[in-house]
Amino acid sequence: MSSNISSLTLFRSLYQPQQAFAELARAEPSSLRIFLSYSLWLLLLPPVFSLIGAANFGWRLGADQPLFMTTNTLLIISAGYFVALLFGLFSTAIISRWMAKTYGASVSLGRHMALITMVGQPLAIASAAHLFPDVLVNVLVLIPATIWGMYLLYSGIPVALETPPERGMLMASALMAWLLVAVVSLLGISMSLWVLGVGPLLGV
Amino acid sequence: MQAVENKIYQDKIVIRLIQFSVIWAVIAISVGVYIAAELVWPTIDFGQFWLSYGRLRPVHTNGVIFGFGVSALMATGFYSVQRTSHVTLFAPRLAWFVCYAWQLIVLLGALSLLAGWNTTKEYAELEWPFDIAIAIVWICFGVVFFGTIAKRKIKPIYISNWFYGALIIVIAMLHVVNSLALPVSIDKSYSAYAGAQDAVVQWWYGHNAVGFLLTGGFLGMVYYFLPKIAGRAIWSYRLSVVAFWAFVYAYIWAGPHHLHYNAIPEWVQSLGVVMSVILLAPSWATLVNGVMTVSTAWEKLRTDPALKFIVLSLAFYGLATFEGPMMAIRSVNVVSHFTDWTIGHVHSGALGWNAMITYGTFYFLVPRLAGRELHSTRLANLHFWLAFAGTMLYIIAMWAAGVSQGLLWLSIDSIGELSFDFKDIMASMTPYYLLRLIAGLVFLLGTVLMAYNLFMTLKGQRAVKVTPPAVDPAYGVNA
Repeated sequence: MSSNISSLTLFRSLYQPQQAFAELARAEPSSLRIFLSYSLWLLLLPPVFSLIGAANFGWRLGADQPLFMTTNTLLIISAGYFVALLFGLFSTAIISRWMAKTYGASVSLGRHMALITMVGQPLAIASAAHLFPDVLVNVLVLIPATIWGMYLLYSGIPVALETPPERGMLMASALMAWLLVAVVSLLGISMSLWVLGVGPLLGV
Repeated sequence: MQAVENKIYQDKIVIRLIQFSVIWAVIAISVGVYIAAELVWPTIDFGQFWLSYGRLRPVHTNGVIFGFGVSALMATGFYSVQRTSHVTLFAPRLAWFVCYAWQLIVLLGALSLLAGWNTTKEYAELEWPFDIAIAIVWICFGVVFFGTIAKRKIKPIYISNWFYGALIIVIAMLHVVNSLALPVSIDKSYSAYAGAQDAVVQWWYGHNAVGFLLTGGFLGMVYYFLPKIAGRAIWSYRLSVVAFWAFVYAYIWAGPHHLHYNAIPEWVQSLGVVMSVILLAPSWATLVNGVMTVSTAWEKLRTDPALKFIVLSLAFYGLATFEGPMMAIRSVNVVSHFTDWTIGHVHSGALGWNAMITYGTFYFLVPRLAGRELHSTRLANLHFWLAFAGTMLYIIAMWAAGVSQGLLWLSIDSIGELSFDFKDIMASMTPYYLLRLIAGLVFLLGTVLMAYNLFMTLKGQRAVKVTPPAVDPAYGVNA
């Protein structure tokens, strides 16, 4: 059993998921190595795209005029976005490993880190839509990416974490609950920050 | 012969209530889809008052909550209270009266809403003649349910019955207090409360209707049917009892979070926030209990499509019960209130939680009641993915629309004036409303497939005759 797995193999999960999951199942990678060589770079994409898009085109939320913010505000928003994604990745990987004990899956943190990154990869790449921060464009691009990510989650757990498909389905659904809560938390935290004065100027 | 009949569980009534529930689901969701289309193409009311959004919207909500939801709760309540008490239903004729009278109320109530009778109280729109009829039928429902528990042969009252019991008692209390009014004609009454007090009473009712009917009642369904479908005892019975009392205690205070920044005392609003946040604990205690119960029953997934619905319903239950307390916090509510995010939140609960748990329960129950296999497991699996996709698309569309609305409505420029025009903002929402319409159609298609599947399963079958089993003396009423 090889202990490591190349970033290229992990990237391949985008278009050849079953082979990539099978290779991951044969590896015991170090979580730090996975993070530094693979996850970190994907996590950087959305905040960077968001920064470039918002600075050039403004947030286009449906009104006739886009919403422009100062460079400082945009930097703070992107930094916050990165921290939130970082927290999301680590917390999901740790929760996934914690759940693995219940569902008889592998408890190798490196594998969980790799799998969660693979699941999030379509969304990270689709975040190129942030380059033109029109909400509708982003929704239309991110919905198929989300569907692909969910397919990777449901089909990846049994293979990569070596558990029967039915147990994998239960674990994927339990993780889905956590991810839904995480996404809605991101919305709630964003709104609280806007109200506190971080972000767009609101009359509250 | 009569003596033998008296010892057979009253399951015909359960089947009839399930049939009504499914019919209401199809009708009420269709109405929902139609009003979703009206928000995209406003002229499709064709100038008819009865087809207008204002009249159809309460038909949708009343049809879903009272037609689909309550019929399902009555069906599952009657089914489970007999099994957990080891006796047949108390006063079966009264139970049949409850079954048909309730359908008549929902049907005539819907017609009255189309005719424009409306108290303007959300989820309590029906006028006073219906309110009186609802109170009478509801009390009869309580008599049948508690009568069955009173004649039970098992000493402990199983946890699902506590939730169904709380549903019956609290909804009766909420309905009677909130509906107190002075009638001035057959179709018009004035609330007994004035101004802000009326609003507080209305949301004490409104939020607890969500709490004790759409959450508590359906938790009763979870606590009976989840262990049954999984073939396992509930993971922690003690946790379920603690969760029940914490749930009942915390929920009743949470209503004022619907009235933030309104003309009600600030301490009342704050109390609503605190109790809403506390509510997360008992809600998630049940979530943990459900997830852990089902986690050991994974082999069942190979053969039973019902379990998939239940597993997913727990995920959406987790989302909705987290999202609700979060949206109750003032700094989130100030942006989210009045936006489509609220509509998305309600539907993550109604579609993802209430409908999914009910669909799963029906897929489990109907083959057993009919004494034959489900007509098509393939169709049920297809329904699962349609329901999942429809719910997700609905939520995502409403999140995007809601956050955009909240942000744009409140945006101010450097001199403190509102940056954007309200009607321009709303005009730009059409694409999201179109996505929501597609989501609704997908969800409706799944529901129609289920209706066909259950109809074919029941076709030509009579209810299987089941008699109560012998009682273990250790649990008998005289133990």
